[in-house]
Amino acid sequence: MTTATATPLAERMRGIVGAGNVLSSASDLVVYECDGFTIEKNKPDVVVFPSSTEQIVAIVKACVELGVPFVPRGAGTSLAGGCLPVGGGVMIGLAKMKRILEVNYRDRYAVIEPGVVNLWLTNHLKPQGYHFAPDPSSQGACTIGGNVATNSGGPHTLKYGVTVNHVLGVELVLPDGRVVHTGGPVEDAPGYDLTGVIVGSEGTFGVAAKAWVRITRNPEAYRTLLGVFETVDDATNTISDIIGAGIIPGAREMLDSLILQAVEAAFRFGFPLDAGAVLIMEVDGLDAGLDQDAERIIEIAKKNNAREVRKANTDAERLLLWKSRKQAFGAVGRLAPSYCTQDGVVPRTKLPLILRFIQEMGAKYDLRIANVFHAGDGNIHPIILFDERDADQVKRVLNASHAILDECIRLGGSVTGEHGIGVEKIDFMPKLFTPDDLAMMVRLRTAFNPDNRCSPHKMLPTAGACIEQSKAGRRAAL
Amino acid sequence: MNETCYIDGFGPLPIVKPDGVASLGDLIRQAAARAAALYPVGGQTSISIGAPPSKAGQIVDLRALAKVIDFPARDMTVTVEAGITMKHLSNLLARENLRLPIDVPHADCATLGGILAANVSGPRRLGYGTLRDYVIGISALNDEGNEFKAGGRVVKNVAGYDLCKLLVGSFGTLGIITQATLKLRPLPELQTVLVLMGEPGQLEAILTSLHVSRTRPVCVELLNQAAARTVFAEAKLAVPDTSWVLLVGYEGNADAVAWQVQQLVKEVGKQRRIDGRIDFTAKPLCEAVVELAALPMIETTFKASILPSATAAFCQQVDREPQRPLVRAHAASGIVYGHWPSGLTLAQAASMLTTWRDLAVQGQGSVIVPRCPSAWKTTLSVWGQPRPDAWLMREVKAKFDPKGIFNPGRFVDGI
Ligand SMILES: Cc1cc2nc3c(=O)[nH]c(=O)nc-3n(C[C@H](O)[C@H](O)[C@H](O)COP(=O)(O)OP(=O)(O)OC[C@H]3O[C@@H](n4cnc5c(N)ncnc54)[C@H](O)[C@@H]3O)c2cc1C
Repeated sequence: MTTATATPLAERMRGIVGAGNVLSSASDLVVYECDGFTIEKNKPDVVVFPSSTEQIVAIVKACVELGVPFVPRGAGTSLAGGCLPVGGGVMIGLAKMKRILEVNYRDRYAVIEPGVVNLWLTNHLKPQGYHFAPDPSSQGACTIGGNVATNSGGPHTLKYGVTVNHVLGVELVLPDGRVVHTGGPVEDAPGYDLTGVIVGSEGTFGVAAKAWVRITRNPEAYRTLLGVFETVDDATNTISDIIGAGIIPGAREMLDSLILQAVEAAFRFGFPLDAGAVLIMEVDGLDAGLDQDAERIIEIAKKNNAREVRKANTDAERLLLWKSRKQAFGAVGRLAPSYCTQDGVVPRTKLPLILRFIQEMGAKYDLRIANVFHAGDGNIHPIILFDERDADQVKRVLNASHAILDECIRLGGSVTGEHGIGVEKIDFMPKLFTPDDLAMMVRLRTAFNPDNRCSPHKMLPTAGACIEQSKAGRRAAL
Repeated sequence: MNETCYIDGFGPLPIVKPDGVASLGDLIRQAAARAAALYPVGGQTSISIGAPPSKAGQIVDLRALAKVIDFPARDMTVTVEAGITMKHLSNLLARENLRLPIDVPHADCATLGGILAANVSGPRRLGYGTLRDYVIGISALNDEGNEFKAGGRVVKNVAGYDLCKLLVGSFGTLGIITQATLKLRPLPELQTVLVLMGEPGQLEAILTSLHVSRTRPVCVELLNQAAARTVFAEAKLAVPDTSWVLLVGYEGNADAVAWQVQQLVKEVGKQRRIDGRIDFTAKPLCEAVVELAALPMIETTFKASILPSATAAFCQQVDREPQRPLVRAHAASGIVYGHWPSGLTLAQAASMLTTWRDLAVQGQGSVIVPRCPSAWKTTLSVWGQPRPDAWLMREVKAKFDPKGIFNPGRFVDGI
């Protein structure tokens, strides 16, 4: 789209939300040309910040009338390019819709606007001993609207579930401007579980303007253990054995030696730098019973050749341990100028195989790869270190990433456990799904978004001319 | 094939029993060509739910599709065909100390496909959630007889739209479920049920104290006297003599369960009579409460979904009706059932349904009629008023099943 048509578009948007809530100058738009996935970039024609459902409706109707696409955006922390405005158009920023509208402790739900940051809700609930269970590592920045769209996970998902398990209802502005309200605080509403498919639709079904979310009581107590292992195999076997013993820890995170060095340099927790892998294992729940579980875990870890198992003795120690984990990505910045994180899943028992494969890919493509991930779920996050100024390295990074994801598929897994397909992984969809599978997904999308006006070219591969457009955008970005 | 059967008085419908996915696909293509309908069934334990069929066709018995495809126990997942009975499945899982923690009545007949389609749940949904929380992959046949799948075999996966959620609870109206992959949980070391006795004026106070209790029950089941009498008799236990009984369940490792039992007694024991049952006696009681909905003596059932905080008042109101039902509620989840043995007239049922619906609206909820004599279904609206998002549901149905092959007429709003 050219600037000539962008200006009337911007004028139209100013009429809806006021001049202060529209960005249209080239310098302002640069910020919005990508999200946490930086390999592809494209500027929207205008960014609009509505403050109510009615304003979203007016924006969407204007887009329909003017024939431009639109894309919702929360905090822009997506790692899959979910916010990339393919084909330009209007970006609907939800950052100003950040009210917590209602909290009902007796019925255990909260109603929030989409721009509420994940951690704000948990902090808001803290005095009453409640929290919002999905806790992505980006929870200090990402919005609940974004979590709903991407069905976010986090370290605690094996025991507590991902976002969809905690969303009761959604108010959605459909791509034609109609508003639909699915689900709600009462369970078992008769009819299809539309809420269940809206969650995880990556912004392609419309704009979530409100959500009813479940709130969860805080565990009464924790036992947080740090297991130090010589090999990754020993660490992963430990996880399988713990679960085999009938214990479902709240969290199990694995860090390999490279990531340990980065984290140690940043936080000085006291991680052993010569270990092959460490496991952060946390059991939570009622205080009674936790010692029984913790002792079993220590026993199992020792049986799997753990060099030592340390216990976090104070709350401060526990928090530092978690801080080290949650900010591990940030710490990687110390190791290389750029890094790229992958998000694959394998059946938990295949973890040793995929980790060995990742190591081989590191050697083959001459890249350093660090691993820190949600081991209990088999959800790997290899972090490939590189220098983006070196075109050859960038190419090797992409090749290694693709090889790792292909291997996840071969081992019976998936190419994304929590970050989403976005634009990044569209090409993998035909590898995971048959044409019949994809056709049914297209049918579903057509019920919500028949003209593909809302966040076009995401999630599902598109046939025909449109693809050319998006490929061109990609080349320009690289 | 000369066997036939009626659904809600509609029929006779011939029963066909495909021996695999390929022949099921053929059946669908034939039905599509003849503009006929298919009514998929498993053990027929939930067949009473829904409006009468609206189109001639065939009943498809899926029980021959019952293979175990993959059971990697250490990954805590299982992939099975939809016709497997829940009894068979839970026996298989128990051998590896695992389970699907969903309460299913008639588990010896009920099939996985049937409980998925009907989204069956029971008392322990409080502690473990419902089927939508356990289905990580699904396969089904579409209106062209082609198999499609969504999800996968790993516990965490966000690739593609989550058609698992859409198919769970779709009552077979979007396609025929052929296979599912489930996330599993370990069997608990110990199970207990505490029986709390209560009188009408105390219900809300007890529920509130359970809500803030330091303990974490997996079920809080509220029974009126009639329901308690039936449940305790089935479990071969002495019947409590109060007008209301609460069954509070705890599961987990031995230390945690023992502590919770003592703690609850500390928290509410002074004011209430409490009777604790551990493992051996807990099991028959749990089973009896799960089976209550399926007892053959029950002819009519209402199910209300309301806010948990409205449950105590709701239960007391409906207990005062002249034709007093067996009232049982998953009290902390806001799900209330009323069960009537035969003897109720249509006029009485219709009048009571109006009362229930008026009350449910106050609790932001709704009421459906999962079971009643077929002849009543033209008078009673079994699904109630369509919700405001019903038009979008119809849109989804139109995309998945444009020719109206799958269970036409049986679901909400004429779907
Ligand atoms: C350091 C780091 C760590 C991370 N850790 C995790 C993790 O542990 N687990 C995890 O799951 N993810 C993680 N992520 C990814 C990301 O944070 C999540 O996907 C998050 O949910 C995105 O929220 P957001 O508000 O930033 O959404 P955005 O990035 O703004 O948008 C994400 C997608 O949602 C859509 N969207 C946003 N808001 C709405 C709305 N209101 N209505 C409809 N669609 C909308 C967008 O169009 C886009 O497709 C991490 C990211 C970073 C940078």
